[in-house]
Amino acid sequence: MSTAKTRWVGVDLQDSDDTRMLVEAMEVDNPDVTVRHMPGIVKLQSATELVIKRETVEEKVGRPWETHEFQMNIVSYAGNISEWDDDQIVIKWEH
Amino acid sequence: MGYELRTKVVDPKRNTFTYLVERFGDKPASRYQEASFNIQPVENFHYRPTWDPAHAIYDADYTALKLTDPYSYTDPRQYYYTPYVANAAERYESFAQTLKYIEERRLLDRLPENWHLVVTDFVIPLRHYESGAQLISVNASRFAFGTTVEQPACFAAFDRIGNAQLLSLVGLSIAGGASETLTEAKKNWLYSAALQPLRRMIEELLVERDWAVALIALDFIDSQLYQLLYAHLDDRALYKGAGAYSLLARHFNDWYGGHKKWLRALVKAWANDPDHGDANRTVMAAIADRWYPRASEAVRTIAAGVAEQAGSTSALAAADRSAAETAGELGKIGITVTEGVPV
Repeated sequence: MSTAKTRWVGVDLQDSDDTRMLVEAMEVDNPDVTVRHMPGIVKLQSATELVIKRETVEEKVGRPWETHEFQMNIVSYAGNISEWDDDQIVIKWEH
Repeated sequence: MGYELRTKVVDPKRNTFTYLVERFGDKPASRYQEASFNIQPVENFHYRPTWDPAHAIYDADYTALKLTDPYSYTDPRQYYYTPYVANAAERYESFAQTLKYIEERRLLDRLPENWHLVVTDFVIPLRHYESGAQLISVNASRFAFGTTVEQPACFAAFDRIGNAQLLSLVGLSIAGGASETLTEAKKNWLYSAALQPLRRMIEELLVERDWAVALIALDFIDSQLYQLLYAHLDDRALYKGAGAYSLLARHFNDWYGGHKKWLRALVKAWANDPDHGDANRTVMAAIADRWYPRASEAVRTIAAGVAEQAGSTSALAAADRSAAETAGELGKIGITVTEGVPV
């Protein structure tokens, strides 16, 4: 934690061929995201919120992608899942 | 005694091939990138082909349409061998299941008479059209420059021969495993007046020297023909109690939906190329001037045949609509179509 005020949201994904494309998509949609590679997992953190957009992911993976497929790659997350519909997933603190 | 658990990471010495690092940065590359980039041989061509001394054996000049960097185009479906084969196998499997269902319930025998005629006289003869399309695609794959372009063209060729085989399976099924329907279909392909403009165009495209011209002109037909036969008639079949037709047509319509993605993306890449974009647009407009009216006429003649012989009241209007819609879609991605669009 850099300051007491910053409340990081984050998501940890398994480090695999599949997630590489997810990470690339998240880097496009979340300019302030920091990506850390650790053995076996990739940690993505943001001071504001994290958005995963279906359209961007589909463009990266080159096939139809449904947002529920995201669950296959999550190891852990920090924050509230404030939105999870067919088009996007938003993770942020709601209170 | 205490243990300390620690992780030790052994980083790979290289993330990927040097040319991919130069292009995308030093990070692991996707399988598609590793299987597609910089595979094309570009140097040390010792002899020029005896049949075309003006070109090298692999040469970007086999077409008038140019890309500054041939690898600026990538297949949006990211097909390399494995996903392509898996996908094609799945497609065949699902078609075989549909056909089995149709055979078990004898749905082809129960087609209304005029729908039966649509299948035998118009749809099954198109196995020869698909076969021609295969040759055009495989020729494009041979003469294109840059693996990302050659690769989807080659897959398209395999898809085409697959489509021809699927149509043949339907023909065999109608004749209870005998070849009469297919023999009859070939006669129709050669002599039925409704199919001649289509046959003429596809045969002329077979001898077109510029592979990209042939590929684009072929798509002018595909786009209209698939919309007419496998989208519009599929819809009508449901209203008219021709369930089997709809079940089969769906597979072809779905295939075209996926197929057009790579080709339209390639057209976009040609139209928006930083150095050659303007020249490419001019060439593509000329291709449209020459071939679009021919494609529209070929499809319209088939629609007229369906109207006349099978009593369809909507086929002609549907052909005009698909000619107009296709022209609109092409306009958006960079091919200006002025001729052959019904007003």
